[in-house]
Amino acid sequence: MKHVIIGNGIAGVCAAEAIRILDATADITMIGDETFPPYSRPMISHVLDGSQPHSKLPIRSDHFYDELKITPLLGQRASAIDVDNKQVHLADGTRVNFERLLIATGADPRPLKAEGLDLKNIFYMRTQDHVKQQVAALDGARRAVVLGGGLVGFKAAYGLLKRGLEVTMLITSGYPLSMQVDQTAGHMILDELVHHGLKVEVGVSACAFEGNGSVQVAVTDAGTRLPCDMVIVGKGVLPARTFIPKDRIDLDLGVVVDDHLQTSAPDIYAAGDVAESVDIARACRWVNALWPEAASQGRVAGLNMAGRPVAYPGSLSRNVMRVFGLDVLTVGNANPQEDAGCRVVETGGADKKYYRHLVLKDDILVGVVMINRIEQGGVLRSLIENRIPIRLPPEILITPGFNFGRLLS
Amino acid sequence: MKQVVVHPERCVGCMQCMLACATAHSRSLTLFAAVQETPQPKPRIHVGAGRFNEGFPNRCRHCDPAPCQMACLAGAIYRRDSMDTVMINPDRCINCASCAMACPYGVIRFHEDPLGPVGHAIAVKCDNCSARVAKGQVPACVEVCKAGALTYEEMDAAMRRKTRTVARSMSVDTDPPAIPAGVALLKSIKQSELQLSGS
Ligand SMILES: Cc1cc2nc3c(=O)[nH]c(=O)nc-3n(C[C@H](O)[C@H](O)[C@H](O)COP(=O)(O)OP(=O)(O)OC[C@H]3O[C@@H](n4cnc5c(N)ncnc54)[C@H](O)[C@@H]3O)c2cc1C
Ligand code: SF4
Ligand code: SF4
Repeated sequence: MKHVIIGNGIAGVCAAEAIRILDATADITMIGDETFPPYSRPMISHVLDGSQPHSKLPIRSDHFYDELKITPLLGQRASAIDVDNKQVHLADGTRVNFERLLIATGADPRPLKAEGLDLKNIFYMRTQDHVKQQVAALDGARRAVVLGGGLVGFKAAYGLLKRGLEVTMLITSGYPLSMQVDQTAGHMILDELVHHGLKVEVGVSACAFEGNGSVQVAVTDAGTRLPCDMVIVGKGVLPARTFIPKDRIDLDLGVVVDDHLQTSAPDIYAAGDVAESVDIARACRWVNALWPEAASQGRVAGLNMAGRPVAYPGSLSRNVMRVFGLDVLTVGNANPQEDAGCRVVETGGADKKYYRHLVLKDDILVGVVMINRIEQGGVLRSLIENRIPIRLPPEILITPGFNFGRLLS
Repeated sequence: MKQVVVHPERCVGCMQCMLACATAHSRSLTLFAAVQETPQPKPRIHVGAGRFNEGFPNRCRHCDPAPCQMACLAGAIYRRDSMDTVMINPDRCINCASCAMACPYGVIRFHEDPLGPVGHAIAVKCDNCSARVAKGQVPACVEVCKAGALTYEEMDAAMRRKTRTVARSMSVDTDPPAIPAGVALLKSIKQSELQLSGS
């Protein structure tokens, strides 16, 4: 069997490993844009904040491709898929034949539309190379502007604050991480960041940058001019799917997959940040661009490609963040629509340094936000993921002493 | 291969296993010296209170495949096949707690550990007492548990025994499930205390 995997992020890597477990002799080719050994993408934010060296990013051996007998085709992007002839086209004109194909191309930063983007020291934050440049730019930098209050914008602002810079964050919603957490938790996070020196401007973005070679001023769409030595753009990501023929493979925001992670085209699978599966908590199609989902989707796709049918139960949005003195954990749908018929149970709050926010639909848990004492978060995640009807009063789930044992007996 | 088997119904909540575990994961390996170490060694088995305040010993199940391993952002979690044990590499862990969200049993804790890097909190959990087992000892929690709530046995044997106990409890006129008399007494005292206190 000839397997081709486009993308050498965690989804592609886990798929290759799964194929190899089931089939020692299959032909595996990996096409990847980045030439660096397989590495932890989330960890680039730890390199930015100075808590981890760049050298610790790789998460597989330097000989990963050799050890798994994979043919690597690195350093260029796939430019097209010929579904009928089962071929992948590369930018340099090469054509690669496949019998089974995995699209694991991840996501690219959502591009910003603004003037002056070609100035130095304006960065996106997605790759090890980006963070290398960011760290180099820290030298002599005093002030930074971060665009976006989502996961990446938040991590960028946090990292730069930890490096001692004066950071201004521009967010369009009222508080950071508004997709992940509810309002109470959002304000607790915001207060913690502000307490550590973050300046926040809500409801604005940047429309232009000025400087003499390097960026010196960010101009907001409210007309404010913010002096700065560097800018990080973290306004979300878009699935990397522009090379996929949309008349042959169903695309929505991401590449639509079925419960075996196969696309609408036979023998072509998708996994990771590029794939759109079903969100368990929201019960609709959704792209959950997250590391644990990418890893397990990669594994499941690989098993299916190698001939062992394995169903994928769906994905969940979930996150853990450490924000100075706060530990924040969120799973599922923290902000249900008013009319969704959900019930919310809460305890704690800003003055307690402890907060719990559970969202239930009938007796099924669909969302959780926890601040501090997050060790039992996985138990709650498992209840959401497996849609286990909650027979206990939900108040028990929000007490500090809650543990797995309480679910039994 | 032998494994630690938990029998929650026998747990009296004495927490001796927690002390023994902390000691087994200290630098000095004796209780007396361990309490004076910095950082303080901490247990990797956690006796929480169940719904009726009964003891519930909770420890890593060394799942296969392990959800924590799949979720680890730093590639710090791996399986040591020879011991059927899921391990965390303290030098790779970045303390991101992604594993806490993945573990369905809530058995991972985050703190500085005597066996980890100095001055850094990391993820810590049961390692099946690899160091003790390598020396031919049984895991510390099993050794100290006098209620029979933790045993160290071949998984097959444990499964067979559990099936027998369940079968027995479902048919009349046979032996009651094998909970020692003392344990049953302690449990009923705890239950009645609870009822008295009105919760
Ligand atoms: C700063 C940051 C922090 C994060 N923090 C967290 C976190 O705390 N928790 C969490 O769960 N997730 C986090 N994430 C998200 C996580 O990193 C992603 O979900 C995960 O890396 C997705 O893996 P993937 O394999 O699907 O895609 P990717 O890692 O994006 O890999 C895809 C690869 O394919 C390549 N590629 C793309 N198009 C082509 C093409 N046409 N041809 C060839 N190659 C191509 C790309 O260059 C890339 O190397 C974070 C991400 C960032 C950027
Ligand atoms: S830590 Fe939790 S998820 Fe990981 S192996 Fe142990 S029980 Fe399983
Ligand atoms: S806390 Fe450590 S072991 Fe847990 S997921 Fe993060 S890096 Fe991995």
